[in-house]
Amino acid sequence: MYPKWLWPVFAIPGVVWLLLLFLVPFYAVIGVAFGGVDPIFQSPVPAWNPLQWNFDSALNTLQGFLPGREYWQVFLRTTEYVAISLVSCLLIGYPVAYYISRHAKRTKGILLVLLILPFWVSYLMRMLAWVNLFSPDGYVDKFLIWSGIAPQPPDWLNGNPVSVILGLIYGYIPYLILPLLSALDRIDKSLLEAARDLGASPSRAFFHVTLPLSKTGILGASVIIALPMYGDYYTPNIISGSPRTSMLGNQIDIFFHGGPQPSVGAALTLFLSVFLGVLMIYYMVTIAKAQKEIPS
Amino acid sequence: MTAIAVGPGPAQRSALARARAWIANPWGRARFLVIISWAYAISSILPVIIAIQFSFNSGRSVSAWQGFSLTRWYWGDPTNSVWHDPTLQSALFQSLKLAGLDMAIATPLGVMLALGLARWRGYGSGASNFLMLFPLVTPEIVMGVSLYLVFLYLFTFIHPSTAAQVLGHVTFSLSYVVVIIRGRLFSIGRQYEEAAADLGATPWETLRLVLLPLLMPAIFSSLMIVFAISIDDFVISQWLSCGGACDTIPIRIYSATRGAPLPSVNALAAIMVYFTLAALVSAYFLFRYLTRGERPAAGHGGATSMVGDMGAF
Amino acid sequence: MIDNTFERKRLLAQLREEKIARRKLLKAFGSAGLAAAALPLLGRGALADEAGKQSGPGGLPLARPDKPVTLPLYEDPIKSGLAPETGGTFKVFNYQDYIDKDLLTNFGKLYNVEVELTTFDSMDQCITRLATHGVAPDVSDITPDRLDQAVAGKLIKPINKDYIPNLQANVWPSLHSPFYDVGSQYGVPYTIYKTGIGWRDDKISEDIPNLANPWSIFWNSQKYTGYVGVLDDARESLTMAMCYRGQYDINTEDPAQIEAALNDLKALIPICNPKINITEYQTLPQGNSWLHQSWSGDLLGAYVFYLPKGDDGSHLRFWGAPKGKGPIQNDTFAICSTTTKPVLAHLFLNYILDKDVAYGNFINFTGYQPPQVSITADSLLEKKVIPNNLKNVILTSDDAGVGSMQEMTLTPKGQALWQSAYARFNSGT
Repeated sequence: MYPKWLWPVFAIPGVVWLLLLFLVPFYAVIGVAFGGVDPIFQSPVPAWNPLQWNFDSALNTLQGFLPGREYWQVFLRTTEYVAISLVSCLLIGYPVAYYISRHAKRTKGILLVLLILPFWVSYLMRMLAWVNLFSPDGYVDKFLIWSGIAPQPPDWLNGNPVSVILGLIYGYIPYLILPLLSALDRIDKSLLEAARDLGASPSRAFFHVTLPLSKTGILGASVIIALPMYGDYYTPNIISGSPRTSMLGNQIDIFFHGGPQPSVGAALTLFLSVFLGVLMIYYMVTIAKAQKEIPS
Repeated sequence: MTAIAVGPGPAQRSALARARAWIANPWGRARFLVIISWAYAISSILPVIIAIQFSFNSGRSVSAWQGFSLTRWYWGDPTNSVWHDPTLQSALFQSLKLAGLDMAIATPLGVMLALGLARWRGYGSGASNFLMLFPLVTPEIVMGVSLYLVFLYLFTFIHPSTAAQVLGHVTFSLSYVVVIIRGRLFSIGRQYEEAAADLGATPWETLRLVLLPLLMPAIFSSLMIVFAISIDDFVISQWLSCGGACDTIPIRIYSATRGAPLPSVNALAAIMVYFTLAALVSAYFLFRYLTRGERPAAGHGGATSMVGDMGAF
Repeated sequence: MIDNTFERKRLLAQLREEKIARRKLLKAFGSAGLAAAALPLLGRGALADEAGKQSGPGGLPLARPDKPVTLPLYEDPIKSGLAPETGGTFKVFNYQDYIDKDLLTNFGKLYNVEVELTTFDSMDQCITRLATHGVAPDVSDITPDRLDQAVAGKLIKPINKDYIPNLQANVWPSLHSPFYDVGSQYGVPYTIYKTGIGWRDDKISEDIPNLANPWSIFWNSQKYTGYVGVLDDARESLTMAMCYRGQYDINTEDPAQIEAALNDLKALIPICNPKINITEYQTLPQGNSWLHQSWSGDLLGAYVFYLPKGDDGSHLRFWGAPKGKGPIQNDTFAICSTTTKPVLAHLFLNYILDKDVAYGNFINFTGYQPPQVSITADSLLEKKVIPNNLKNVILTSDDAGVGSMQEMTLTPKGQALWQSAYARFNSGT
C-alpha cells in the first residue's frame, strides 16, 4: 500500500547523517593515526588515501602495549577495573532485575521508578554526590568513626583504587539493570511454570531455565556497560586525581588535549576501538538477530 | 507464594520466632531478593538526595553540614549562587539549549530513519541497520575524538561551538530514537495500516492519521530519552566545546569537582533534577493519557510499558 | 583591604575559572612544531639533521635564552605613517577569557570598528586553525615557542615598531629585544609569569624559602599526603623534578635526563600522593590543597577572587626560584598574515601596551602581570592590591632576559620524549 521508494527515502537523511558524522569521523581517526606530520607545524596531516598510509608511528604506539612497555600497566589496570566492576554490577544487578521482573507485584511500579530515577540524574551529578559523601569530613567517614568500624577511615579520594571501582559500579549499574530487566521480562513465564509443574525446585528452575534463557540479556547488558567503561576517563579524574588509578582513556585524553602527538592519541583510540570491536560486533549481530525475531 | 508454616500456629508465635521464620522462609531467595532490591534502590538514590541536601547548606562545605539555608546557593548569595553566577547560568542554559535542539533534530530524523529501516527491504538496508547500531556501542571517547578530529581537519568550516556540540549530540541520539520507535512499530504491527488501506485511505493519510498517532507514545518516550542523554552527556560536549560559553552542566560539575566545589554546583545539579522530575511526572501522565486505549487489564501498564519501550534494546 | 575594583569584577573571575588554568596548561604544552629540519624555505625536502645540530621548523635555529635568534623577514613590514583603517570588524584570536572584553570594546570605540574575539583551546589548535585557514584573524596571541613555527609557515607578519612606541616606553627593557625574537620583529609581550611553589603557611610548618633546596619540600612532604599538588603539564612537572636536582637545562632532549626527572616525579607518588591538576588557584585558598607547584599569577588570582569570606589571605605564600634556577614564561601578541587591517593591528598591539590599559586588563580581568615598567610590587602593595605575603608574585625586568630559564621549542623527537615521559607519570608506570 505504500510506494516502494517511500521507505528508503525516509531512511536516507538519517543514513547520510550517520555516514557524515559517524563513519567519516572514524575514518578521520584512521587518517590521523596513519598519517604524516607537517614538517613546519608538527601537526598531524591526515592521510585520506589508503595508499598513503604510514604505519610506522602507529605500530610504534601499538608496541607500547607489550608487557613491560609504557601502556601495558594502564591497559592491565583498566581491564582489571572493568572486570571487577562488571562482575560486581552483575552480582548486584541481576538479583535486583530478577526480583523486579519475577516477583514484585504491588511494589513493581515503585521499584521501577526508583530504578529508573538514577538513569535520569546526570552521571556527573551522581559522581559529585559520591565524592561529597567520601570526603574526609563527609558522611561515610563520620559513620565509620561513629560506629567504630574504622576509627581511622582510609583516605578515599586520593588514588584509592577501591573508591574508583566503587564509583564505576555506582555510576554504571543503572545502565546494566534496565536492559537486563527488559530481557528478563521477555522470558516466557510459561516455560518456568512448565518447569515447576515438572517438579523442579525453585533453585533448579532458576539455574536450568531462567539463567540460560537470560544469557543473551546478561551478555547484552554487560557489553552495554563494559564498552563505555573501558573508555572512561572522567570517573577516575573526579574520584581521585592520582596517576595510580588512571585508565586508558586518560592516556588518550593526555595525548589530545595539548600535545604534539595527536597521532599517538589517534592510534590509541584505534587500538581501543579494535579491541572493543570484537565485543561491539558481537553485540550488534545479536541485536540485529533479536530485532528480526520480534514478530512483526 | 505460600509460606509453609512450621511449628505452632501464627497467633502463638513470638515476634522473634515470626521474624526468624520470615527470614528463614523456604522461599529464602525471595526475601534475599527483596532486601537486595530495596537496598540497591535506596542506596542508588541516597547519594543524590544527600547532594541535593547540601545544596541547602548554609556554609560553603559540600561535605560537612553546617545548617540549613533554603536560598543561599540558589539565589541568595550575591556572587556565587546560581541566580547570580553567570557561569552557572550559562551552563544551565547551554544544557537546555543543546537538549532542546537535540530533541528537535534527532526525533524527526530518528522516526524517519526507524520507519525506513524497519520496512526497507532492499540493497543497503542491512548495512544501514548495522550503521545505525554502531553508535550505541561505541565508547564515547572514541566518538568524541573522531568528531574533534573531523572538525579540525576535514570539516574545518565547523568550529568547536554549540553547533558542533549539537551535531555530536544528534549523532549519538539517533540510534536511541530508532531503537525505541522500531520496538513500538513491531508491537503495533501492520494491521491498522492495512485496515486503513482497505478502507480507502491514501498512503499519506495512512501515515498521518493512523501510523503517526499510534507511534505517539514511542515518539514521546524517545523525546524524553533524548532529553536525558543530552543533558547527561559529558564527553562529546567537552571535546567539541568552544570554552566557557559552550560549557554544559556536566562540564561545570566536572571542573568544579576537580577544583574546590561550592554548594552552588550542587544547587545547579539539583535544579536539573527537579526539572527532570517534573518532566518525567508530566510525561508519565501524558503517556497514560496517550495510551489509554491500550492498557492491559493488569493495571500497572503505564510504567512498565514506558520502560518496555525504553528498554527495547 | 582589597581595592573595590576587585569586588566589582568578582563575577568576571568566575567566568574564567578553569578556563584560564586549562589554557595555561595547554599553552605550556604547545612547544611543538619541529621538523627534523625539513627546509621548505629552500624548497628542498632534504633532511638536514646533521650530527649535533638541532634546528626547528623551516630550518630556523632553536631559540634559547643564551642563544638568541633573529627571525627572518620574509616580507617587509608596512610603511610608517599610514592612517588606520576604520569600519568593519577587527578580529582578535586568543584563549578564552584571557583578555578583558572591556579592553576590546574600548579599542573598538576608539577606532570606530567592531571588535570580535575568536577563541582557541590550546596553542596547537591556534596554529592548526591559522594554518588551515579555519580562521582569518587580525591579531593573535602566540607563545614564544611557536613564533618560529608561525614565521616559517608565514602565519604572522613582521611589525613596524614605529606604530608601537609603547614597546620602548612602557615595557621592560629586558623584553625590548627578547632572545626568541631579536629586535621584536614579529610580536610584543603580553603577560609574564613564573612557575614556583605556592603554599599555605598555616598548614606547612617548614620555612620553604630558606630551605637549602626549596624544591625538596615536595620530596619530604609525607605528613601532608593528600594535600600536595603538581601542575598538570608535561614540561612544568618534569622541569620541577629537574630543578630539584639542580639540572637547569630544561630544554634538554637527553633521554637519560628526562628519564631521571620522570623517576623523581614517580617517587613523589608513594611519598605524598600528589594531585595532578591546575586548579591550585582555587584549592589553595579554600584549603583543599596545602602545597602546590604554582604559577605566580594564580596566587594573585587566588588572593583576589577565591578567598572564603572572612579569610584575609595572609597565609598564602609563593616562592619563585632566582633567575636561571626556575622557569619563567610569557605570551606575545602578533599580527596575523590574514589581516585586512594591518595599521589597526599595529595600533592594537600598541594599545595593549598602554600603561593604564595593561594595568586595567591585569587587575580587573586576567590577573596575569604584563611586563610593564610601571607595575612594581611596591606600587601594588601601596595600592593595597596585593598583600605583603604575596609580594614576590610580581616579577621585575631583571627576571627576564639573558640568564633566565624559559621552556622553549624542542625538536619533534625531544617533544615526543617529554610527552611520553609525562604520559608515563600520569599512568603511574
